[in-house]
Amino acid sequence: MTDIITKIEKIDLPDKDRANIEDDLLRHIAGPSRKYKIWIGVLVFIIAVGAFAYVRQLKYGLIVTAMRDYTSWGIYISNFVFFVAVSLVGSLVSSILKLSHATWATPLNRISEIIAVSAIMSAAIIIIIDMGRPDRFFNVFLYGRLQSPIIWDVIVIGTYLVISFLLLFISLLPDIGLCRDRLVELPGWQKKMYRTLAFNWQDKPEQFEIVKKISGILGIMVIPVAFAIHTITSWLFATTWRPGWDSTNLGPYFVSGAFMVGASCIIIAMYFIQKYLRLQEYITDKHFDNMGKLLVLLSLVYLYFNINEYLGPLFRMVGVEGEHITELFAGKYAPMYWLVQVGGLILPITLLIFKPFRKPFPIMIVSFLVLVGAWLKRFLIVIPSLQHPYLPIQDVDESYMHYIPTWEEWAITLGSFAGALLIISVLIKLFPVLPIWEIKNEKKLIKAT
Amino acid sequence: MKTIKSNIYQRAKILVSIAFLMFQFSNAVSQDKKAIIDLQFKEKNDQKFITGTAYDFENDSIGAPIEGIDLFFYVQRTFSLLPIGDRFSTTDENGEVTVEFPADLPGDTEGNIQLIVKIEDADDYADTSATKELRWGIPTILDDSESKRTLWAAGANAPISLMILTNSLIVIVWGIIFYIFFKIYQISKV
Repeated sequence: MTDIITKIEKIDLPDKDRANIEDDLLRHIAGPSRKYKIWIGVLVFIIAVGAFAYVRQLKYGLIVTAMRDYTSWGIYISNFVFFVAVSLVGSLVSSILKLSHATWATPLNRISEIIAVSAIMSAAIIIIIDMGRPDRFFNVFLYGRLQSPIIWDVIVIGTYLVISFLLLFISLLPDIGLCRDRLVELPGWQKKMYRTLAFNWQDKPEQFEIVKKISGILGIMVIPVAFAIHTITSWLFATTWRPGWDSTNLGPYFVSGAFMVGASCIIIAMYFIQKYLRLQEYITDKHFDNMGKLLVLLSLVYLYFNINEYLGPLFRMVGVEGEHITELFAGKYAPMYWLVQVGGLILPITLLIFKPFRKPFPIMIVSFLVLVGAWLKRFLIVIPSLQHPYLPIQDVDESYMHYIPTWEEWAITLGSFAGALLIISVLIKLFPVLPIWEIKNEKKLIKAT
Repeated sequence: MKTIKSNIYQRAKILVSIAFLMFQFSNAVSQDKKAIIDLQFKEKNDQKFITGTAYDFENDSIGAPIEGIDLFFYVQRTFSLLPIGDRFSTTDENGEVTVEFPADLPGDTEGNIQLIVKIEDADDYADTSATKELRWGIPTILDDSESKRTLWAAGANAPISLMILTNSLIVIVWGIIFYIFFKIYQISKV
């Protein structure tokens, strides 16, 4: 993969001087527009509905959900796996592409780091929402068993959350200093925030040296931690004896799927940022083109692991495992399964091979298909397996055999999406969405005093 | 009328109490003879037999065998006594009774069991018992997997290799994170 990525040609940044680049990239931080306020209002409303549903869940317990003894992990856990997958985008762009010297991806670093922070925060919150007794959350730390993959997951999610924050903060630091120095007409609280977060940044060479050093360390460290976070999440399933989960393929299957969905998230974010922040000079068609090629590559890897995942059980068709495969391929989950495999994987690969589909609007639509497919794929990984236990309950209640999420579950899930988008929207509004100092550095316009 | 009824009731109560006490007294007097149980053990063709012999034990000396007395054979279990042999094992004219020891009784880790033979509620003899420890049980293999360091044990018994690996990873990664915090602090001091 590294060879292919490094072959992607470097993209020229706009031929502008330092002041113009700063003007372009700081412009959106000025007072919120009407559109932005409406957008935030809509997100807050969706979050409020989700919060209301969660209050009901706290009051009446998990009985308000459709989860029962068979399907004890519903869309909350599907959503958790989805957000963990999305969070890997930070390591893909800020680390793997950076270490591969794919300098064309420099303008995308900040976007990927913001998405990663937002996704991992949402994942951490969702897992608490899935708990029937969230007040007992700290018992995980007090009485947890080190032998349990759940404890490993808690440890690695906490670690990845901190690393994601650090990756974002370190790359932001010189730009926060710039905001403090240049954006003098902002409200007092915002100026104070920049002063505090700037850590006395003065564009000194020694400071740049430290930032460079920390970025290097984080860039290397984030890769094993990112692989660990999603591999361990896959082990939550792989170490539980259920059809569809009992597989040694699950770790790489999850990681490859995560990189694919991460790339699609970046493309969607790039499209809206380019359009609404008027950054066409910085996020160009060439960026979309390269990200399209990268998405095809990542989707092909994921397709390969999909074939591995289903071919073995399909060939054997033994017992409950066979029932599980039948249900996915031709049973009640077949429409969703084929929609995901064809609409969310094969079709995007096919379309993105052709250059016209790698233009900003078409690729955004295709990426959206990948994103929806990826969410539904997590649903298909979690729920059908739970409905076919190897040791069924005798005379099981009919309601245990089906899982149709209740309105509370949908409201909370949509609320989590709105929450993730709110974090992204607020961070984009408060900080430069493209790494100004890195772009200037590419153009050798950095002002070191 | 009520007083008369009450008096009759009181007197009947006293009479019943006296009768009960007299019965207990006569019982105690009639059981004051002492007995002693002798035990012998025999193994034949994989079968194990216990022969109990009851003797009169007046004046602290062994007397004649007691015929027609019931001996009760038990094996001590964790919470109670397990009866073995027939429901009633009555001594013959030699004062002897033989019961077969079950072949499938679990003992401790070495196969030891505690045999108890009793005279209980006999008409003429006071209760007595004889105890013997025998290695006739099936050795029990204790399932101590919970106390071993395994993946399925309690949290306190996590495998050492897992603890070393996990804690080393945590220390290394978080050590680097704290180093980064320190470097960020250094940025503000440059």
